[in-house]
Amino acid sequence: MLRTSLYFLAIACAAFFLADISVTTLDPWQEFARMGRGLLTPDFFNLPDFGQALFNTVSFALVGLTIAVVLGALLSLFFESTPVRLFCSFIRAIHELFWAFIFMPIVGLNSVCGILAIAIPYSGIFAKVYAEIRQESDQRPAEALPPASTRFSRFCYGTLPLIFGHLKDYTSYRFECALRSSAILGFIGLPTLGYHLETAFREGLYSEAAALLYSFYLLIISIRIWARAKFIVIPLLISCLFISWETSFSLVGLSRFFLYDILPWPMRAEGFYVGTGELVLVPLELGKWFWDIVVSQALPGIWNTMLLTQIALVATALFTLATFAFASRRFFSARVTGCTYLLFVVLRTTPEYILAYIFLQLWGPSMLPAIAALFLHNGAILAYLTANNVNALESTFDAAQGRFNRYLYEVLPRCYGHFLAFLFYRWEVIMRESAILGILGITTLGFYIDSAISRDHLDTALLLICITAGINMSIDSFSQVIRKRLHISGHVASRIIGPGESGS
Amino acid sequence: MNASLGAGDALLSLRHEDVAYSGKIALKNLTLTIAEGEKVALIGPSGAGKTTLLRRLYQLDPNNCAFVHQHHVLVPQLSTFHNIYMGRLDHYSSWQNLINLLKPTRSAMQEILPIVQKLGLEEKMYTRIGELSGGQQQRVGIGRALYQGGSIIMADEPVSSLDALQSLEIMQLLVEAGRTVVAALHSIDLSQRFFHRIVGLKHGSIAFDLPVRSLTEDRLSRLYG
Amino acid sequence: MKKAVKPEILFFLLFSVLVSSLSQAAEFTFTAIPDQDTARLEQRFSKVADYLTDALGFEVRYVPVKSYAASVQAFKNNQVQMAWFGGLSGVQARLAVPGSVAVAQGMEDVRFRSYLIAHHSTDLQKSKQFPMEIVGKTFTFGSKGSTSGRLMPEYFIREKLGKSPEELFTRVGFSGDHSKTIALVQSGSYQIGAVNFKVWQKELEAGRIDPKKVTVIWETPEYPDYNWTVRGSVDQTYGAGTIEKIQQALLAIDDKALLAAFPRQKFIAADNSMYQPILDTGRAIGIFR
Repeated sequence: MLRTSLYFLAIACAAFFLADISVTTLDPWQEFARMGRGLLTPDFFNLPDFGQALFNTVSFALVGLTIAVVLGALLSLFFESTPVRLFCSFIRAIHELFWAFIFMPIVGLNSVCGILAIAIPYSGIFAKVYAEIRQESDQRPAEALPPASTRFSRFCYGTLPLIFGHLKDYTSYRFECALRSSAILGFIGLPTLGYHLETAFREGLYSEAAALLYSFYLLIISIRIWARAKFIVIPLLISCLFISWETSFSLVGLSRFFLYDILPWPMRAEGFYVGTGELVLVPLELGKWFWDIVVSQALPGIWNTMLLTQIALVATALFTLATFAFASRRFFSARVTGCTYLLFVVLRTTPEYILAYIFLQLWGPSMLPAIAALFLHNGAILAYLTANNVNALESTFDAAQGRFNRYLYEVLPRCYGHFLAFLFYRWEVIMRESAILGILGITTLGFYIDSAISRDHLDTALLLICITAGINMSIDSFSQVIRKRLHISGHVASRIIGPGESGS
Repeated sequence: MNASLGAGDALLSLRHEDVAYSGKIALKNLTLTIAEGEKVALIGPSGAGKTTLLRRLYQLDPNNCAFVHQHHVLVPQLSTFHNIYMGRLDHYSSWQNLINLLKPTRSAMQEILPIVQKLGLEEKMYTRIGELSGGQQQRVGIGRALYQGGSIIMADEPVSSLDALQSLEIMQLLVEAGRTVVAALHSIDLSQRFFHRIVGLKHGSIAFDLPVRSLTEDRLSRLYG
Repeated sequence: MKKAVKPEILFFLLFSVLVSSLSQAAEFTFTAIPDQDTARLEQRFSKVADYLTDALGFEVRYVPVKSYAASVQAFKNNQVQMAWFGGLSGVQARLAVPGSVAVAQGMEDVRFRSYLIAHHSTDLQKSKQFPMEIVGKTFTFGSKGSTSGRLMPEYFIREKLGKSPEELFTRVGFSGDHSKTIALVQSGSYQIGAVNFKVWQKELEAGRIDPKKVTVIWETPEYPDYNWTVRGSVDQTYGAGTIEKIQQALLAIDDKALLAAFPRQKFIAADNSMYQPILDTGRAIGIFR
């Protein structure tokens, strides 16, 4: 484990030298003063459509997640089959924002688009994690059943009761993530909290932005109160009933998207400017089209994405190791852990785009603000999970004296495996998220995808999305290989994380 | 049921057999016959091959054997009823099993009630067994074997995690659970008290196979020496 | 929880039926690119929608979008039948939907301009000459799909300096919109920026610009920009002559409050050919293929 960690550290150091990093501070203080004033004077009474946005944020997350649970559970049962595994890996490799972009032309920019953009990638995530929980569960009860029992009975009696608690807790942990995703979807125009947050922030209306951010923090902190497993049906029903299910779905739009817009440009070029929409097949031109995109966008995009991801990954790890102790009752009093908990909520709930913008003001444009935004966000999540893990460890009454000794000898060796497992899960997440920081002018894959979409070159966008998904899938399987080799898994711990803890 | 066999007939037998366990030979050149009505204890130091032998014997006639597992193979999240019911999952369709999981049917309850009564667990019929004591859980394990049926009851260390008093109770229930009982034990005391025939295993071979009254201190100390 | 699963599935089924049975409403909708003051898009444009409803005699609704790309996609897929586009997004939309027409533009849009703005630390002053000194500085555009914040500035930079922005500047960012471009150059995060002249004037009047920190250093030549574009199919759906009626309704707007939403003094007639320079420029720098 130590050796693997050191390899990653070495790669990140090398990447740091290769990456485009600089600090060009001039005078951010005027903007910071305005932001600070906004944070101190949140304006809760002037928010347009606040109730609707809040309702949409929760509804998209809840309905999307419910669909994902059903689909994910079904898919997880067939997860031993390679096509299913690849399919799941593919659908979760694409960021929610890009799913929304894909659904937008098909169903329009509305609730259904938002729900699908959450439901699809989360199905892939649930399929994978549910399957892993099942595979890693105690097999002995199932093996002890009469040999002639059917597979279904064996599963219902020997496996499901054992893992049901894990599944439930993991699902409720994911609910918080879905709420965040739902809010972020507002950035491209879905009517959630993120819509108004991004707008207020972009317009420099920092008092409104602060009020929206604070509400979002409160929403996340209060999950454990209102989102109990037993009562969740009620908000779910309300969501289903009051959400706007109106779509502008049309077969014309659907076929236009799949049979025209995403076809490679050389096939469409001739008919495009004359307006006939005629298609031609020109294999040589197609090859050139593909090669041009790969050389001019995909390769530089992959390079920058990988640099950013590797640095942010290790920075996330270091941040976690440095901070999780402050959130653990093993080390500090309730007051300290409470404050740290709040800080973690703030860091993981504040959209990365906003974090990046703050650091952009502070350091000027380079990869540095992106790294900071990614590692603070992901580190806060990881540190929170690790602290929960540590709290659940059994400790002896005669444990080592002194926090530092206890940290090094009692806690770190015990939790390091889980920590690494979580970190490797986060790896693909960090890579996916590096896609949305185009404001910094860092040419990651996401930057090129965004460019292609804004140019209405949907064929290029889709090719790049597929390439991104491919990279993500290889990182995913690579991280799985490492986890297998190191014999580490995050699922034992997933039982004790998240707000579901109280409900189980 | 092997009704054609009279009392004392051989139920299970191994002749000069090597038994491999995960690729390694665990038992060498083994010959053993178990007859109907016998109560046989397998003893010996850890790693001598007791569990391997028990499994091999089970495989000789799985439809006629009911295995009393250690309590960790029970499903703690399910009730006593369900854990006992699981002994006969193969007798019912998947659909019936699903219904019984969600809400036990009257007929299944009536089948299981006598067993639960015999084990003294009537009040715990619908309690999740994770909430039961170790002794109660082990009784549920015996209940499952009883429900499963079969003329041979087998058990692997059935009392390893219980205190002395509970152990006596469980052993009593166990030897009464079937006409023929084969159990791997590590308590010499219990094996002498409840079984008629003691088989001592060491390094994958049978060191002795004696009626309980012929067993001497000397033999025992050599087995564990 | 176990019991809760069943109603969930039921509702999922129920709603999938509901969703699929919803037919498309034949409501007339329009959108507008979110180029500035996006916090009050709804307020600004719902007034326009009310006006059009009265003038046209059928229900007109405004649909907000969050990005230039989304407005084009919505137009393409007939989710809106009309849009207030920028020059670039308008050309994109009309290319994607053959038969659609530009019907009106603002008086100012005939002769639109962009400003290059600089942070005071660069010591650049306003000049008629193109400021060659910007080479080697950090630079931010507005939105990637903006005409005044991206397309035309990029075009003139390429024309004057003969290279792409990526080659000329140490770093090229996309702030997302004009207001953020100003904020980022004002704070010195980027040294140079390109911005819509109307937005600059508005922010200046609103007192959000500190002239000591950020100044205009160059003004681009004039080019055509924003326009109202209508889908060609509107005449079939809403009756022949509807496009004509829409055009007349737009040209007839003289309510200052309505015009302030854009902000324009007046709308005048436009047609597709006026935007040929935008198409040519876009093709020259690879935005159009």
